[in-house]
Order: sequence, then C-alpha cells, then structure tokens
Amino acid sequence: MNFFRSTYFKAARDSVRRSKGRSFWMMAGIIIGVTSVISIVAIGEGIKQQVGVQIHQFGPNLITVRTAQLSTQSGGSTSSSLEALSGFSVTSPLTSRDISTVSNVKGVNASAPLTLVDGSVTGDYGSYNKGIVIGTSPDLPSLFNQSMEYGAFFNSSQTGSNVAVLGQDVANKIFNEDVPLGRTFIFHNQQFIVVGIFNQFPSAPLSQQADFNDAVFIPNQIAEQLTNNTAPTYEIMARASNKNEVKDIAKKIKSALNNTHGGSSGFSVLTGNENVAVNNNILDLLTSLIAGVAAISLLVAGIGIMNVMMVSVSERVREIGIKKAVGATNRQILSQFVMEAVLISLIGGLIGIVLSFLIDLLLRLLTSLRPNITWQIVVIATLVSIFEGILFGSLPAIKAATKDPIDALRAE
Amino acid sequence: MALIELQDVSKLYGFGDATNLALDEVNLKIEKGEFVAVMGPSGCGKSTLMNLIGLLDRPSHGQYRLEGKSVSRLRPNHAAKIRRDKLGFIFQFFNLLPKLTALENVALPLTYKGMSATKRLKIASEMLDRVGVQSREYFMPSQLSGGQLQCVAIARALVNNPQLIIADEPTGNLDSGSSRLVMELLADIHRMGNTILFVTHNPELTRFATRVVYMHDGSIIHDESTTIGRVATTARKVLYTLPTTKEEDDLAGVSTLMKALPSRSSVPRTSSLSSKTKAKAKPKPKTKRKSRK
Repeated sequence: MNFFRSTYFKAARDSVRRSKGRSFWMMAGIIIGVTSVISIVAIGEGIKQQVGVQIHQFGPNLITVRTAQLSTQSGGSTSSSLEALSGFSVTSPLTSRDISTVSNVKGVNASAPLTLVDGSVTGDYGSYNKGIVIGTSPDLPSLFNQSMEYGAFFNSSQTGSNVAVLGQDVANKIFNEDVPLGRTFIFHNQQFIVVGIFNQFPSAPLSQQADFNDAVFIPNQIAEQLTNNTAPTYEIMARASNKNEVKDIAKKIKSALNNTHGGSSGFSVLTGNENVAVNNNILDLLTSLIAGVAAISLLVAGIGIMNVMMVSVSERVREIGIKKAVGATNRQILSQFVMEAVLISLIGGLIGIVLSFLIDLLLRLLTSLRPNITWQIVVIATLVSIFEGILFGSLPAIKAATKDPIDALRAE
Repeated sequence: MALIELQDVSKLYGFGDATNLALDEVNLKIEKGEFVAVMGPSGCGKSTLMNLIGLLDRPSHGQYRLEGKSVSRLRPNHAAKIRRDKLGFIFQFFNLLPKLTALENVALPLTYKGMSATKRLKIASEMLDRVGVQSREYFMPSQLSGGQLQCVAIARALVNNPQLIIADEPTGNLDSGSSRLVMELLADIHRMGNTILFVTHNPELTRFATRVVYMHDGSIIHDESTTIGRVATTARKVLYTLPTTKEEDDLAGVSTLMKALPSRSSVPRTSSLSSKTKAKAKPKPKTKRKSRK
C-alpha cells in the first residue's frame, strides 16, 4: 500500500526525531492512557482469576446462602450487577433456625454457617483485633476442601466446648510461633484452646469471602452463647450429595427458606458456578467502568495530538509549499503527516505497554494482587494507538495537504 | 511545437470591486532551448506568470499548452506530477528545507518519484558535483553562503532532469559575485540544452539570455531576441542612457524601463512622451501594484 511506504515512514521518523521534546509531550497522553487502561483491565482479570481459583477449590457441589438477593445470570445486564453491588446490606441476617433448615434439606450432606462474632482476641502477646472470629460447624473443612496443617478441626462432640481453629496468619500473630497447638487465648472473657491450624487459604482480593487466613474459627453454638444469639450469620454453606442435583437442591433450599421466612426472599442461594458468575459480573462492571474513564484519557490524548499537529502544520506551511513545488502530490503530503501522527501514537502506545508490564511486576511484588496482562489487551492497545494516530492525524494532515502551493510558498 | 504556449492567458485575483488583473491576455511562445529573461517593475505580473507557467497556479482565462498538451485545467495532483517530472524551480529566497542537509534537499524531488534512498542520494551527490558544491554535501542550509545555497537550489531544480527551469529572481538576494556565479551556472545548463526562464531586475544579466521579455501591468509590452554576451538593447538604455527613476515618474507609476521601450507611437521620445505614458498609466492606481506584492 502506497500509504505506508517506507519513504514516508522515514520522513515521519526523522521529523519525530528532530523535535523530540514536542513529540514526547504528544506521546505522554497516549502513554498515560494506554498504561492505565491495560493496568486496570489486567488487575480486573487477575482478581477474576484469583476468585475463580478460590471458588473452584470449594468445588462445584457447594451451595452458598447469603443475606442478599444476588443476580445469578452470567453476563447479566448492568442493572442486575448494580443491584448486586448495592443489595448487600438491605436484608436481615440469617438465623440459627435457617441454619437447621438448610441442614435438614434432603440432599444436603454437609453444611456450615459463617457467623461473625465481635470482639478482640487476647493472647499471650497482647490483644489482636484485626482478624475475624467466625462461628461455624465441624463440616467446614470438608466444605472448603481445606486441609489442616497441624492438629484437627473440632468434631461434633466438641461443639459445646471452648475450642478454636486458627488460620495461618492469625496463628503467627497471636502466638508468635508456628505450632501453637494447646495454647490458649481469651475471647469474651472466656478461655479458648487451640486445637488446629489450617493450611494457607488461597487469597483473593475483592472476593466476597473474607480472608480466612486471618480468621479464628469457633463452634457456632459457643458463638451464639457468647453473644446471646445476636451474632449475624452472613452465610450458610452447604454441599449437595450429588453433583448433578446441585441446582435442584439449591432450589429446594430456597423454597425451604422461603417457607420459614413466610415467603420473603431477602437472601440468595447460589451454586459454585453461579458464585463465579456473580463475581465476574461485578468485576467486569467495575473494570469496564474504570477502564472506560481511562479510555476517555486516551481520547483526550488523541485530541492533544491533533492540536499539536495543527500548530505544527501552521508552522511548517513553507516546508509544505516547497515540497509541493518540487512535485509532492496532496496524497504524499497527507501520508507524511498521518504517518507522523501514527508513529507518535504508536510509540506512545508501546511505551505504555512496557510501562504497564512494569506496573504489573511492581504490584505482584508489593501487593497480593496478581494482575494478568493478556495478549488480547496488548494487541488491542497497539491497534487502538495506530487507529488513534490515523483518526486524529487526518484532520491536520488534510489541512496540510490541501494548502495552496503559492500561498504556502509565500508564507513566512 | 513550442515547449510553452500561452494563448490570451489572464489571471484575476479577488472578487467584485476588489478584482485585480494580474495578467492581461498574455500571449507567449517559448521554444525548446531558449534562455528567456523576463523584466519589468515590481507588481507587473512576472511572478504570476512564473507561477502559471510552473503550474503552481491556474489561469483564470486562456489556454496554456506545455509540450503541446493543454495544462490550464489540471487537477492539483496531476499538476504536482508534472512539476515533479518536467519542471525545476529556483527561487529568490532559495526555499531549501532548513532541517535537511544540502544533499537531502537536492534529493527531495526524487523522493516523490518513489526512488530508493541510496539511489536518490547518489544522483543528488552527482548533481551537487555538477554545480560545484559537492564539498558541502552534509552542510545544513544555515551553514552555507547565499551563493552556495542558490547552487544547491539549482542542483535540486536539475535533479529531475526537467524540460524547463523556472527561476524567479535567482540572483535577487545575492551579491554581484554570487550572482555571476549563479548566472554562469545557469548559462552552463542552458548550453547543455535546457530551457530556462528567469525573472530579473538587473539589466546586466540579460547578457546571458537569448531573449528578453518586458512586462508592465500584466501585459507583455516588448519581446526581443538578443545575442548571448550582450546586454539587450532596450535594457541597455535603462542601464546607461536613461536617468534613474524620477520622483514624478514614480508617483505616476512609470518606470525607466517603460521610457526605454522603442515607442510604438510616432511621438518622439521627449518630455511629451513622458506625459503621454503618464496619462496612460494614470487610470491604473498605484495601490494595485502594492496589493499584488
């Protein structure tokens, strides 16, 4: 194609090289835009993957009951995702009656509530209140598919006693040792004995699950006694006995709960796959919102390029006149200026891609985020840069190409 | 077949009351191999004529044939290709690109022909050698003297092997030494068979021409053939016999050149002629010339 001939490329390259300062500032907008779009999308992708891993670990049989009406359509519309975002705090917590309702549904072979208990944990090394204390049932490890590092989870005979199982992080923090089995801590003026420590849970930022590495698990019965049944149960987990009936059992749980609540439906019953879908919906919405804002910065950058090119065309009228006098056609002048704009935005885009890989590396080193830059987004960023150059370079280029040669030669 | 044939070519600028007649039904024929000097006062339409012949502009009326083909109504891109392949321009202010070296400037027209970089730089280098500034190949225009700049510009005009070289006051911005250098170079090129059309204010330079065309107020008022090496007769009168422009003549818009013309009327060249030319020139206001500049 005549348009992208190497001659014009070289002319454009020389022109960019000769005015480095101006070219760099023209690129700056593109660099910032591309970097932010790629980074944001990569972070979103990364979180999605991490959450996916976590939910996958729980297995497809897992059914969760939460105190909110969540959208279950994968790829659902924006409005349903928004409902999901805002609906969390609307309804009242689940009760101990709900817990037994769920466990009594036919086909549920294991269930565990997750009940949040307030208060700080006081160990030998002072109190610790950053973690969470969760009341639950002995079925929890099997529901999570989570193995113990040391000791064992409390069994059904221990549900009435003050025993506790720790996440790995909290074990280190309270007792400052790796195997605090048999050690005790004070919670709500009662002494608890540590009987087990979990292996590391896979962590997932922004996931709907709490970080269980920072959690202390105690029997639900004890949790209710400590708080006079006021502790909120925010989630009930259940496992279907048969993989193929997960959906049916989820429906049964839902109708059973509806019955006990007198027909109200202020809670959601989700299967493992639906959980992934909900998560992805919310993340996709967030990612596209922020990426959209970043994309506007790309647009602004393009207009910036156009402005500078416009001025540059006015400054270079004489050059255009001379070139036309020695035989440059309108199209050749056009190509030169478009090529210049494309080159600037493409270089800007490539620098942006490199920068976003650096940011990815930094985030991986410094935070628990695992951004994931896919090849698709890199290709899209490159294409968008080129397209932006063509789009915003055209107007100045047309202005340059249609200059009258005599007027252009006479200009000072 | 004449190389250039202008038939009743007029050029108008502006609209309505502000209309300016820059060229008034000019007829001109230039054969291949001629070395034509165009003389005339500022604003007489010389540059407009050059622009028209150089296809930088289009005539408002009339026919222009280049090598027998009508080119008066060409589309801009087609005109650009003819400029590239058949015409070479030399300007008063050189018009070299300040950010390119002398060599790259000379190679510029070849770029638009689509020639490869190595090939066009080689040809450009040969051209610079021919005009005698090869040692300055990698100098930027800002590092060259006026004469050298014009030599580079001539090399650029020649690099496409054009049919016609158009020079608009090529020595207008040079000292007499450089002017001589540039004119000898043009004479050299002419001897090799090129056709050259140049505008000058300096009657001395008609020595180099084979033909001198005098213009005034948009018309060709005199056309004479001369011998190379001699100042044209009419121009010589301006040089040696007539006083420089008097203030009253200047106010009336009459140049010394006008007075030097062989009279077309029978009136003897006395003060009465001067009054006649005055009368002839009066209806054309002086501001008109200024607006053309």
